[in-house]
Amino acid sequence: MNAASVTVLPRRTPPSILVVENDVRIRCLVSDELRASDFKVLEASHAEDALTVLDAVRIDLLFIALDPSGEQSGLEVARLVRMRRMPTRVILAIGDGMLAKAAAEDFGLILSKPYQTSDIVELVIRTLNWPEAPA
Amino acid sequence: MSTTSTNIPLRADAPAPTVLVVEDEVLIRLVIADYLRECGYKVHEAVSGEEAIAILQAPEVSIDVVFSDVEMPGDMDGFALARWVRANKPGLQVILTSGAERSADIAATLCEAGPLMKKPYASQDVVERIRQLAARAKLS
Repeated sequence: MNAASVTVLPRRTPPSILVVENDVRIRCLVSDELRASDFKVLEASHAEDALTVLDAVRIDLLFIALDPSGEQSGLEVARLVRMRRMPTRVILAIGDGMLAKAAAEDFGLILSKPYQTSDIVELVIRTLNWPEAPA
Repeated sequence: MSTTSTNIPLRADAPAPTVLVVEDEVLIRLVIADYLRECGYKVHEAVSGEEAIAILQAPEVSIDVVFSDVEMPGDMDGFALARWVRANKPGLQVILTSGAERSADIAATLCEAGPLMKKPYASQDVVERIRQLAARAKLS
């Protein structure tokens, strides 16, 4: 079989998203909204837990708020994902701090706090192209 | 339908209770929360007693059953959370789980449904316990 004969089948299972946010009510709200859009959503409250999940489960998209509590910052987790060449897209939610903004700009996908949950869903759908647009 | 399925779906005509899973071990929480969702429950997650209370106090959230680990970091373990629930949310059902033997007696005084679930637990047993509690709450 040559490469030209390979057919890319449409994805059947919803993408998995890891939401990392230390404010439980925001995490709950964001996760619920994404689940309502049929994504599979996993939750972590801080960077260390995020790394544990990333090591154990395939994650298509990491949505991480800077800076969640814990010794390791969200930005470090995002860098680690990139360094390990994981097939995980990253969206960073950042506050007003210019330092965080400058550091996060490198990652491209940024959501400024405060954000609407509908903004997240829209950005996630666009980033993952899910559900896939018909060819 | 096969009877060997590991997931126990809810009855189609029964409204799905909302479960608050309180567990600091992220991979354990992930597995049980995922399983409960697959069984049709709406699930919220908390990593500590403090987070659990924040959710329980949120006006936009309604919880039917709390499923909590006993051993958790921070000032509030599962027992303290169960006491808080008893004092502030009477009628809300609590299931405690622990890997420690010593917890059984204390849990028996705090959980309406009897002694705690010993870790490691089978996910199906958790669903069965939640189902019993939900049925009991409906009757009371």
